[in-house]
Amino acid sequence: MNVAIPVIRRSARVQRSDHAVVLRYLADEITLEGRAAALFSKMLPHLDGKTHLEEMAAQIQEPPGHLRTLADRLCAVGVLTFTAADSESQTMTGEQFYHLHRKYCAHWLRPVYEHPLWEKMVTGKATRAQVIGFAFEKYHYIEGAYEHMAIAAANATPEMMPHLARHFIEEYTHGDIYRNGLRSLFRDELIVAAQPLPSTRALVNFLSESAATSSFSYYAGNELLQLTENTSDAGARGSIAAFYQALRRNYPYTAKLIDSFIAHTRADQKLGHEDVFHKMCRSVPPLSRREVCDAVNVARSTAEHLVLFLDGIDRHYERFPTVPRLPGDLLSQ
Amino acid sequence: MGQQETTQQRYGVRRVFDATPLSNGGMSLCLSDRVVELGRREWELYSKLAEWWPMRRSQTEWEEGLGLRSDQIERIAAKLDDAGLLYRRADIPEALTGVEFHRRFTAVLQSWLSEAFSHPFWERMMSGNGSKRLYTGWLIELYHYTKNANRHMPLSCAHTREKPIKAMRAQHYAEEWNHYHYFMKALKALGYTEQAIGQSVPLPVTLALSNFMRQAAREDVLAYSICSAVLEGTTTDRRSYDSYYAKTAELYGVPPDAVDPIYAHLDLDVQYRHSDLFLEILRTVDTIPSARAGRILDYGHQLVEHIWLWTDGIEKYYEDETSPLPRRPFDPFID
Repeated sequence: MNVAIPVIRRSARVQRSDHAVVLRYLADEITLEGRAAALFSKMLPHLDGKTHLEEMAAQIQEPPGHLRTLADRLCAVGVLTFTAADSESQTMTGEQFYHLHRKYCAHWLRPVYEHPLWEKMVTGKATRAQVIGFAFEKYHYIEGAYEHMAIAAANATPEMMPHLARHFIEEYTHGDIYRNGLRSLFRDELIVAAQPLPSTRALVNFLSESAATSSFSYYAGNELLQLTENTSDAGARGSIAAFYQALRRNYPYTAKLIDSFIAHTRADQKLGHEDVFHKMCRSVPPLSRREVCDAVNVARSTAEHLVLFLDGIDRHYERFPTVPRLPGDLLSQ
Repeated sequence: MGQQETTQQRYGVRRVFDATPLSNGGMSLCLSDRVVELGRREWELYSKLAEWWPMRRSQTEWEEGLGLRSDQIERIAAKLDDAGLLYRRADIPEALTGVEFHRRFTAVLQSWLSEAFSHPFWERMMSGNGSKRLYTGWLIELYHYTKNANRHMPLSCAHTREKPIKAMRAQHYAEEWNHYHYFMKALKALGYTEQAIGQSVPLPVTLALSNFMRQAAREDVLAYSICSAVLEGTTTDRRSYDSYYAKTAELYGVPPDAVDPIYAHLDLDVQYRHSDLFLEILRTVDTIPSARAGRILDYGHQLVEHIWLWTDGIEKYYEDETSPLPRRPFDPFID
């Protein structure tokens, strides 16, 4: 007998009308109508993780089988889950974690992909400072590999060390690809001395902190970043190509910068990092609930920091047209 | 014979903290020590110069772009130098004492604080367009930031080699480490449980502020100390925070029990004279080379930018009625 207790996902949103109930969870939307909607409405106050199905059925005076059928269906689409008395000691395989991670990342990356800065650059509404500022902040972020990837390698667990060492060694020169592009517009010493925005620093610092704390969680966050560079499917390749084309058209002076963006994408592709995380997940021992929560939260925070990174570029360079942000000296303040 | 210095190499551009358009098409520019008013033509020239300064342009391109000869550009630069908008790099001292550095810090602090608190959030809160929810959110993030002092204050001691400085930093830590309880107390008076607040997670902008302090702590104790001094600088003037708390309490029905602990915390800071700590630390420093001094000032200003970013993030998250308050960690088993 299954003694698990049904609980509605805390982040699910329920919207009720006269004849239907709409449930929204991550990217999914499920509409219940008629009998199912009525049954769900009766069940809802009891889906608090404290009431067994049988007990619930007695309280709302409905056949337990009907409750079970609906609960199982909602569980299959993710809106509902079952908690167990031993939930704290539950474990998850790396493979299960990998699929869970993909599902959440797709959801958390939506505000990144829908950020207004992309549209501004594609339509030519972004200012010169926003476009060049974007290139500079991307440079600072990629150059941040010297910090977070190095810290990750230096603090790696034995099983993660080969992955994290290789990762740093393969990527530490990538900042120079952007630097080469920026050299078409700025003196090299200014590029190297330029200061990132606080929002860019926030992203690099966050990655560095998680790199020092947990190898696996750090890589779960890093994988979210990797997904934004993923060009394995034709759709992603096409939209990236269209983005670069629009930049070239709207901002002709950025031609060499865009060449450097493309060179970086190709350099990343050559490394074949796209399935590293999957391999890594397969190789780790089962993860405790705490490890799963930690890794998932690092991935969520990474997405939030990525939004902050884009916000920072959009807002700062709209207000302040001076690019790059030069370091100060004793008289500049 | 060495190459002749260009105008770009000879001068630097000073930071403009605020710019207000004038009715004649010109601009009023606020520097740390003066306000400079430029006419329309002067403003156009200055803004172009300031934008072009860091770019890799040859002298010929400069002349063509500005429509001026090099001697004219040089004359304009000299005038902007007189007005205080540019400065001669040759005037930068090679080194200065700790106390001299503190004088320079004091001279810019007020401009920095004005910049840090220039976010529209404060005006919104004071004008009645804020909400109790925004006030609470800000308090929650302040709780997290204060608790996170435990992540950066001891770190600054660990990375300091000079005994007198690390002793002062350690004492500061000993006096501050548990001050998050004041914010917990205020939040409990607003109806939140200790468990709900204790288990909540900070916003990324709050983490950004603490992580930046950790970065400073690892790099240079004086860079860390200037950041700490900027933060202490926000709490020295009771008149400025009194009016904020009194007004927001009145506007949004914040009970006295949710404000009193904050006053108690601020008063304790004053009692400990934490705002004097930076000067005490600098008194032990005989000389600071110019490059290091510039980096330290940069850290101070970046902290100011982080405070603005922090405020921005707090407003964005807590003004959204659908955002959980307090913010919970994501639990994939139930979320």
